[in-house]
Amino acid sequence: MVRKLCLALAVAASALAMSASAWADITILVPSGSEGDGLRAAAADYAKLKGTKVETVQAPYANVFEQGANAGATKSGVFDIILMDDPWIPFFAENGHLEDLTSYFKNAGVEGPDNDFLSKSLAICRNPYNEGPYVCLPYVGNAQMFFYDAAKFKEAGVEAPKTWDDVLKAAKMLTEQGGGRYFGYVFRGGQGNPVVADFMPIFWSYGANMFNEDRTKVTIDTPEGAEAMKMFMALRDVSPKGVESYNANEVGTAMAAGTAASSINWPNWVATFEDPSQSKMVGKISYSPIPAGTKPGSSEIGHWTMGIMAASKNKQEAFDFMMWATSPQQIRISAERGNPPVRASVFTDPELTKQEKFRHYPVLMQAIEASTPRPRHPKWPEIENAFGIELSKAVAGTIKPEEALKNSQAAVEEITGIK
Amino acid sequence: MLKSEKGTAASLRLGRGMEQWSERHLRYLMLAPTVVILLALTIFPSIYMFYAAVHRVSPNPDLPWTFVGVDNFARLLTDGQFQVALRNTVVFTVVAVSIEFLLGLGLALLLDKFIRRLTFLKTVLMIPMMLPPIAVAITWKLIYEPQFGVLNEIMFRLGLPIQAWAGDVNLAMFSIIVADVWQWTPFIFLLMLAGLASLPVEPYEAAALDGASSWRQFWDLTIPFLKPVIAIALLLRVMDALRLFDLVFILTGGGPADRTKVLSLYIYQVAYRFADPGYAAAISLFVLFVTIVLSTWFMKRMRLAE
Repeated sequence: MVRKLCLALAVAASALAMSASAWADITILVPSGSEGDGLRAAAADYAKLKGTKVETVQAPYANVFEQGANAGATKSGVFDIILMDDPWIPFFAENGHLEDLTSYFKNAGVEGPDNDFLSKSLAICRNPYNEGPYVCLPYVGNAQMFFYDAAKFKEAGVEAPKTWDDVLKAAKMLTEQGGGRYFGYVFRGGQGNPVVADFMPIFWSYGANMFNEDRTKVTIDTPEGAEAMKMFMALRDVSPKGVESYNANEVGTAMAAGTAASSINWPNWVATFEDPSQSKMVGKISYSPIPAGTKPGSSEIGHWTMGIMAASKNKQEAFDFMMWATSPQQIRISAERGNPPVRASVFTDPELTKQEKFRHYPVLMQAIEASTPRPRHPKWPEIENAFGIELSKAVAGTIKPEEALKNSQAAVEEITGIK
Repeated sequence: MLKSEKGTAASLRLGRGMEQWSERHLRYLMLAPTVVILLALTIFPSIYMFYAAVHRVSPNPDLPWTFVGVDNFARLLTDGQFQVALRNTVVFTVVAVSIEFLLGLGLALLLDKFIRRLTFLKTVLMIPMMLPPIAVAITWKLIYEPQFGVLNEIMFRLGLPIQAWAGDVNLAMFSIIVADVWQWTPFIFLLMLAGLASLPVEPYEAAALDGASSWRQFWDLTIPFLKPVIAIALLLRVMDALRLFDLVFILTGGGPADRTKVLSLYIYQVAYRFADPGYAAAISLFVLFVTIVLSTWFMKRMRLAE
């Protein structure tokens, strides 16, 4: 009897396991953190409203890319929607993992996303950039801003930093006065994505770029690149010891604890800086667009965008959800949940902008409109890794800055095949 | 015989038959899921890895795999990042395992006489190796944090210069080794302690009667007796050190300046970040080959020495 019961239970368990993965109408892969939390909350609202079963799978930043790439490569159809960081779009789109949205817009009776979305937010959702068909819709409007302690900068003789020279002047003085416990500038110097993310805005501010206009040449090792590198190294010299291993958390913590006066950072840190339970700097941090070098400053855009996986079996349901989640009402709710918007109407909504926690919105909107995407290439993760190693060596002082540029140029040429 | 009686007898026979069949085959049925899972999780991936290593695998599912023969293995000879990772892995393995062995053996010799009574101390010493590697890595990340970490706070209070433990090119590998030594010295210590507890008493009594010094006894008796235990301990630690991942991933991410990039981290990057599973499989096979060669050589040497 017991044996028969065991067998019956084993069969039942197997049947349940097989059907478990198929219970949801839409499955969405999202990152951990506020971006993923926001979409997860929206998915729960959608499920209640429409009676659609929505499952969200949340994973750390790097794992979202890996799981999405695996699902795409195996055509598993396990995810219907992926919430992607925008530099991943070329990889997913050019390897056939993303659905072209053109026909879905047509069926919905529209030509594409409406004009309320910021133009830069829409440009990244087309592949190739700003020209090809839409392969995703923008959801979280991240772009870097410059964060600084205005009172400290004023003490150092700089009212509002407009250029990197202003930043360096104030940061140098503050670090000298800090006695090894306070620093004028802090940045993400960790090898790979962190150091590249904090170098690119400076690189662009000096007129440098990774490729020329028509992508026929790699242009890292140029006089403009050298000038940017010179400023980056000068900023390193006024940053805390150990910045070589810093990532976003260390930079955010230093700013919130009031041990550093300025940094480049993402807007989702505003909530932390303005939260008395997490920050000593509530109301003291000012926000500005990225300072200028020899050219106007430009932020790195880092939007989170929703795309439909090509192997999804619920594409229309997925598209309907995306259209609903990126509607003006939902983007406003998403903003209240802590995610920067992607629509002009939400950025300029007086109900929001009059609140202290949204006082950075005008600056952020300006930053998005003046932003630059990371070089759009399907091999971007590999390019970023190679560039990040050389930058890390320069920050750590194991090679000269000019060697880092030369080596990066050679490495990117090798990876892309562009000589 | 009535029709209903015939039916009852037939169903009884059938029931008995089923019972006999289940008696004979149930064990296989119960084992089947485990065997299937083992085949799926070990045999199939191994074959798949060999197959992938001789192909260029595109992340685009619509493109076929291209047979490239030994190209992926030939890449190992010219890939600078692989060579850096290999060098770092060798440095880490040699230094970390040596320190763990010397400390573990030394502690075992020192505490051999007392530890049998102090079970509490033995339990405390075991804690680090019972912790998940990820928890150990996060704990050490907090200890090493340059601005708020406890280590630099102590340095600052002692008037010593604070250090970027995981961020300094000269200290990063050292910091990872310290964390690994903290976690795995107890493993060697426990094995050595077990080895010491099993040593015969007579040879020591005879040696003492012959006037052999403690050092002589240690060198000529303890070490030869312990050799099999030492071999197992070193082999297990070397194999584990070659697979180091968690500490590096959390503490340094392979930086600064590639100083802590080890083979496991590089394989992970190649497979998942650069979407090149064919080359990742080739590097994994290289590591597997090195581990097999090393362990075979090691065991042979130990057997010869015995």
